[in-house]
Amino acid sequence: MTNAIEIHNLRYRAGKAFEIRDLELHVPHGAIYGFLGPNGSGKTTTMRLMLGLLRPLAGRITVLGDEIPRDVAHILGRVGFVPEQPHLDPILTVRETLAFHAAFYSTWDWSWAERLLRQFDLQDRQPFGRLSKGQKGKLMMLLALAQRPELLVLDEPTDGLDPVVRREVLSALLDYVSQRQATVFISSHLVHELERFCDWVGVMDDGRLITEVPMERFKNGIKRLRVSGAPRTPADGPFVVLAREPTNGSGETWLVRDWEPRMASYFDGPGVSLHEVIDLDLEDGFVELLRTFRGPRA
Amino acid sequence: MCRKRWVLLPLGLACARGLIGQELPRLQARADSLAREWRHAAAVADAIDSLERARVFVGHDTIRVGALTIVTNASPLPLREAAVRAWPLIDSVYGDDARQLEERPYAIVPVDPDTTVERPPRHNGTEIPWDQDVASLTLLLLSTVPVAPADTALQRWLGGEVRPLIHADVERAGVYVRLVTAPFEASRRCLIGDISACRDALDLFGRGDPVARWYRSARERRSVVLNTFTGYFDRGTHLATLQACANGSDSACTQLLRSLPPGGLPRPLTHDARTTLVDVALHLGGRDAYHRLAASVGLPIADRLAAAGGIAIDSLLSRWRAEILASRPTPVSLPPWGLWIALGWTILFAVFGLRSSRWRVN
Amino acid sequence: MFRVMLYSQWKWSRLIVLLGSVAGFALPIISVQGAARADSSPLQAAELLRTVQSWGVLYPVLAATLGLLVAIASWTPDHRGRHVYALVLPVPRWRYVLLRFGAGALLLAAPITAVLVGALLASWSAAIPAGLQGYPVALAVRFALAVLVAFAVFFAVSAGTARTAGIVLALIGGVMLVQVIANVARVDLDLVGKLQLVVLNWPGPLAIFTGRWMLIDV
Repeated sequence: MTNAIEIHNLRYRAGKAFEIRDLELHVPHGAIYGFLGPNGSGKTTTMRLMLGLLRPLAGRITVLGDEIPRDVAHILGRVGFVPEQPHLDPILTVRETLAFHAAFYSTWDWSWAERLLRQFDLQDRQPFGRLSKGQKGKLMMLLALAQRPELLVLDEPTDGLDPVVRREVLSALLDYVSQRQATVFISSHLVHELERFCDWVGVMDDGRLITEVPMERFKNGIKRLRVSGAPRTPADGPFVVLAREPTNGSGETWLVRDWEPRMASYFDGPGVSLHEVIDLDLEDGFVELLRTFRGPRA
Repeated sequence: MCRKRWVLLPLGLACARGLIGQELPRLQARADSLAREWRHAAAVADAIDSLERARVFVGHDTIRVGALTIVTNASPLPLREAAVRAWPLIDSVYGDDARQLEERPYAIVPVDPDTTVERPPRHNGTEIPWDQDVASLTLLLLSTVPVAPADTALQRWLGGEVRPLIHADVERAGVYVRLVTAPFEASRRCLIGDISACRDALDLFGRGDPVARWYRSARERRSVVLNTFTGYFDRGTHLATLQACANGSDSACTQLLRSLPPGGLPRPLTHDARTTLVDVALHLGGRDAYHRLAASVGLPIADRLAAAGGIAIDSLLSRWRAEILASRPTPVSLPPWGLWIALGWTILFAVFGLRSSRWRVN
Repeated sequence: MFRVMLYSQWKWSRLIVLLGSVAGFALPIISVQGAARADSSPLQAAELLRTVQSWGVLYPVLAATLGLLVAIASWTPDHRGRHVYALVLPVPRWRYVLLRFGAGALLLAAPITAVLVGALLASWSAAIPAGLQGYPVALAVRFALAVLVAFAVFFAVSAGTARTAGIVLALIGGVMLVQVIANVARVDLDLVGKLQLVVLNWPGPLAIFTGRWMLIDV
């Protein structure tokens, strides 16, 4: 399986406070890749680097098989982008905005754009600057989808939208993806939202990618274990211990990654016992992952 | 000074004999001639005295280019180069009369441009700082040609001596502008081809009332009073008349203009227009044109110019008008290459814009 | 592509273009009002020239103002969106800038045409005294070039980043500083004067703005 986006050894610095170091990122073709991270972790910067809006200090970025920034114009013709802020011309009406956008994309699909326009209930003659936040979000998604891109790069596209609008926007997105088998690279800090439809997840914090795994593995792989009689320094196991905390008596709670049920046999030794394996949802896993990344390792 | 006395004595005697029984114009012409000779003699004597005195202290130099002669002291002044430039112009105007310059040298005394340096003893020469360049020296030579001065009638009409035109094109272009913009009917009719109006505008037939000849309409008369002489008439006995003129009384305006002293009434065309006319006549008339002009003392100016040019006065005026019209100045607008330069700058700045970086999001 | 760019810029600069066109049309007509009056005398050529010349000062002012405002308006939508949207459009940057430049320049055709039409009307309707001539086309051509130069200069400045603007300002400030130091040290150095000569005289970039702007002249 080839990758729609490949980033190798990417380095970027914005002032003295923020830096992306040796970023490695791979988004498989056809995947819906959820890009998680707290505010200020570098998600938007990574996306901008990926679209050639920022100049990296080092590293290599390949999008849809072409290199950024060398082939940026060609790549952008195949990419639909929804930025974090709606950066459209505020005095153009909705219809004029569509016409402006359509002129730049050879793949623009007017019939689908009209359908989305009706579906999103957007008024033709309303200037972009006077649209509500939800309407702006819908229009941005409409623009990204109607150009029929191979790759959608969505930077918190539902941020600040009410649940109804969010549902409409995501529904249109999924509808398109199911038709076109397009790749989606979507960032959000609404973890629950991504959990529903992403098949890959990458977690970023402080300019570094903490993990990049299939969603199923991420959701099922992070567990909280209640154990007793464990050695002070556990031998190399088949899973990664992210954190361990003492509980009452001789018991401990371990936070582990890459857990699989067959690994229970690890605790089969004398005096050691696994009492309980607790499932964590994506958000808990995400929070625990960040906590362990930021704190001292086990 | 002893030489001057020897020259003046026979001149005085000749003058006394000639006065008896002659009519006024001839007397005036004779007086002009005598005055001219006197000035000539005085200038030569002064120059010789001065230079002889100066020679005692420093070496001298005589520069000759054609008939143009410059007596001067050794100095860094580029007088020879200036003379080389000036002589063709002088020769073209004065023709054979330019030979006078062999006997009427320029006397030039180079002085230190530093005014704090003590000057040599007083002498009769033109003091020129020795840091002058060729162009300014040429200008000096052309504006002070020491040929015999013209008679008073010619000088009065012309407003000065006959001199070579230094920048003929520029002066003719100036006359064109004056013809176009002068607020007088005469000059405007001259512009559009009325030769008799040119005669009036150039004041060639000085008979009759100049106010009526030059300012034909009440509007012109009123305009010239109010625009030129308000300050002059704004007092004393003329005040009421000026008021009446301002209120539209043409007779009051005419009365005011007629009350001006002789020569006070501005002519429709200025000195440079008459100078260019003389220039045309001299160039048409050949090498002895100036001689004919200078010799025809006592005749009306128009006849003198016609004699100098060797053609009828109306033909001369037509030629003059044609030359003036041909010298119409180019309106100050875009030079021919200005278009390309402006477009070049536009393209250059556009290219600067095109180089605008795409790395501008931060 | 160019059509939508033109439309977008038209929406931003229509007020400027309309007002500039009205001013450009009116200016030549007003400047010869003295000549066009029925009671004026054909003898007032000098006065007419003075009037035309004094109104002529406004042509370069109008050209510079139009160039500046249309250049700013050309970049306003991008500046407002911090260039994000513009930079994700699938065209090379130079082509995008060229589209913006072309659209701005084309919009300026309206006031330029207005000046031409106004100048032609003014020349035709005015009682021009003999010896004087109207130069409506020459005036309009000069106005067009001045507008384009001003537009190109301000467009390039607007297209630059804050860093570029900083470099330009630093250069200007450096020249001023050297001049001030030279003045204080009583060194015979007229850097500003020389710079002014270079910029304002042919073939300097702003020479097109200098000189007389005469609709009617000899």
